[in-house]
Amino acid sequence: MGSADEFIKLRCVSKEYATASALRGIDMVVEKGQWVSVVGPSGSGKSTLLNIMSGLDNPTSGQVVIDSTDITAMKEDEMARFRREKIGFVFQQSHLIPYLNAVENVMLAQYFHSIADEREAADSLERVGMGHRIDHKPSQLSGGEQQRICIARALINSPQILLADEPTGNLDRENTRKILELLNRLYSERQFTIILVTHDPFVAQWGRRTITMEDGKIIRDEYR
Amino acid sequence: MIATIVRRSFANRKKAAALMIASITFGTAIASSLIVISMEIGGRVSRELRAFGANILVEPEIEGMADLSGQRRYLRYEDIVRAKTIFWRHNIVGIAPFLETDAEITSNGKSEKVGLIGSWYYKELPLPGETGTFPVGIKTVSPWWSLSGKWSDSADNIVIGSSIASEFSVKPGDRIDVDGTPLKISGTLDSGGIEDRQIFMDLESLQRLKGAGGKISKVLVSALTAPMDTFAYRDPASMSKAEYEKWYCTGYVTSIAKQIEDVFKGSKARPIWQVAGTEGKVLKRLKVLVYLLCLMTLAASTLGVSTTMIMGLVQRKEEIGLMKALGAGSEKIALIFVTEGIMIGLAGGLFGYLLSVGASQYIGTKVFGIALEQRAMLLPMTMAGAACVSIAGTVLPIKKAMEVRSAVILKGEQ
Ligand SMILES: Nc1ncnc2c1ncn2[C@@H]1O[C@H](COP(=O)(O)OP(=O)(O)OP(=O)(O)O)[C@@H](O)[C@H]1O
Ligand SMILES: [Mg+2]
Repeated sequence: MGSADEFIKLRCVSKEYATASALRGIDMVVEKGQWVSVVGPSGSGKSTLLNIMSGLDNPTSGQVVIDSTDITAMKEDEMARFRREKIGFVFQQSHLIPYLNAVENVMLAQYFHSIADEREAADSLERVGMGHRIDHKPSQLSGGEQQRICIARALINSPQILLADEPTGNLDRENTRKILELLNRLYSERQFTIILVTHDPFVAQWGRRTITMEDGKIIRDEYR
Repeated sequence: MIATIVRRSFANRKKAAALMIASITFGTAIASSLIVISMEIGGRVSRELRAFGANILVEPEIEGMADLSGQRRYLRYEDIVRAKTIFWRHNIVGIAPFLETDAEITSNGKSEKVGLIGSWYYKELPLPGETGTFPVGIKTVSPWWSLSGKWSDSADNIVIGSSIASEFSVKPGDRIDVDGTPLKISGTLDSGGIEDRQIFMDLESLQRLKGAGGKISKVLVSALTAPMDTFAYRDPASMSKAEYEKWYCTGYVTSIAKQIEDVFKGSKARPIWQVAGTEGKVLKRLKVLVYLLCLMTLAASTLGVSTTMIMGLVQRKEEIGLMKALGAGSEKIALIFVTEGIMIGLAGGLFGYLLSVGASQYIGTKVFGIALEQRAMLLPMTMAGAACVSIAGTVLPIKKAMEVRSAVILKGEQ
């Protein structure tokens, strides 16, 4: 176990694309159990930051240390193992496998982690209020319902970190609030670390800390 | 879980799945028909090539002083049937015994010393220790020899070679003096070889005439043989027990000759290489051809599966990226493709087998005029083979899938 107050640590992380610099020397530390909101204008590098923290993308330079492990040095398969052990994901678009039903989509994450357990998967859907929809395909569900399944899937393997990229981007205020209440409830039950990207101030206020990005840099870091 | 993923995924892209199964179906149908036909036809070609003549010659063994003393040695008449008791007895398709003597023939004031040969043209002898008979005689080792008239059935009549017949201007029905005894000519024989200058008499009659009861001077055997390979050319005397066993139990012309030698007392049996060689070569080439055709067909099937899967990857990029983001290791991604490959292969193999049963039956009757024996054993073999072919088709798609970068695909924007 790494020290709790340097659970996630980025040192001078940059990401250059051929046509743009997405991140320019990001330094940041996240404590274990923190709920951090990341805000900023479109194109400021929020998604890139999240992808690098999860190892889905490699930084051009700099170092990412999670739970005392330098993930920038990892090979792809090691990274995949690290990801399934430690990280849960919720994407802006609810990325679900279209031909699998709700419970099977959750079981998929279990299967990649260890073994699929239908009972447990169904229970997790119950907890996000989707118990009555377990055999529906994603196309038969509303955006808010799909997003709830994504949350159930992200948390099914009890990750220490939840990375959410605009999880409520497509939802109306009412559904956004329901999702955040759900997240908040699960967060207080399990005390995982949340890093949540959003451009919506209403969403950002649910975290205790807000990091503001602009042009690939952190320009503000505030606690409430 | 993996089965669910693959099943649902197929249900989601039925066309692609059907295309891949069809690709395997046709490939395996063609390949397994080729194999069934070649197994059958191989035997037939071999049998037809037997028309080129005997491939084993059995003669008395000549050893030491016997040769110098000028005393002739013979084989035993009663050993003929024993040739049908060897391990490879079913491969022996023809046996012809000969008793070689000389005689002087005279007709129209002309005379000439010629070979007087005792043999059978065609007859059936009872199988030793079994019910049924087996064919023996010149016809069974040299089927292209043509006899006009009838074969000699006693010491009163003979068959003469075609060039003697024209030289002496005699024909069946005429008489000719043989060692001063006028004999009736029952038929003429045309072989295209030295036999055209010989005269023939029924074997037992000649034995009695010459006081050589139970004696024969050589035997020609026509046997179906396995193609000679490098192992076959090794000297059996230098083999280990296991090697000798293997050599003995493979139908090489040499091992069959050895077994025949063992049943003819005091004999030496050797392959007649010209015939034995041709046959093995032709069969080997036929086999190589069939294997090549099978290989090409199956390669086409592999390619069919491969391209269809790679094309499908365009649509599946997102789900593969997602699986990787969820922490799927490369082995679990690969397993999905391999499982798809196995399912396609098993389905294609089953359909392919059924199709090949029909196709080979049709080709067998239409082209070769025979009903092919269908071997149920081929079903599991076909299915397993088809699965391998199909799995081979997943190699490239798996490589491509590994290249999918989830970050690019899952970015919030698009
Ligand atoms: N694959 C890529 N190739 C080139 N440039 C890229 C690529 N991905 C992102 N960028 C650029 O990097 C910058 C940061 O992109 P990023 O997706 O992180 O922004 P974001 O803050 O998530 O924006 P949004 O709020 O619109 O989602 C942008 O200028 C973008 O154009
Ligand atoms: Mg983004």
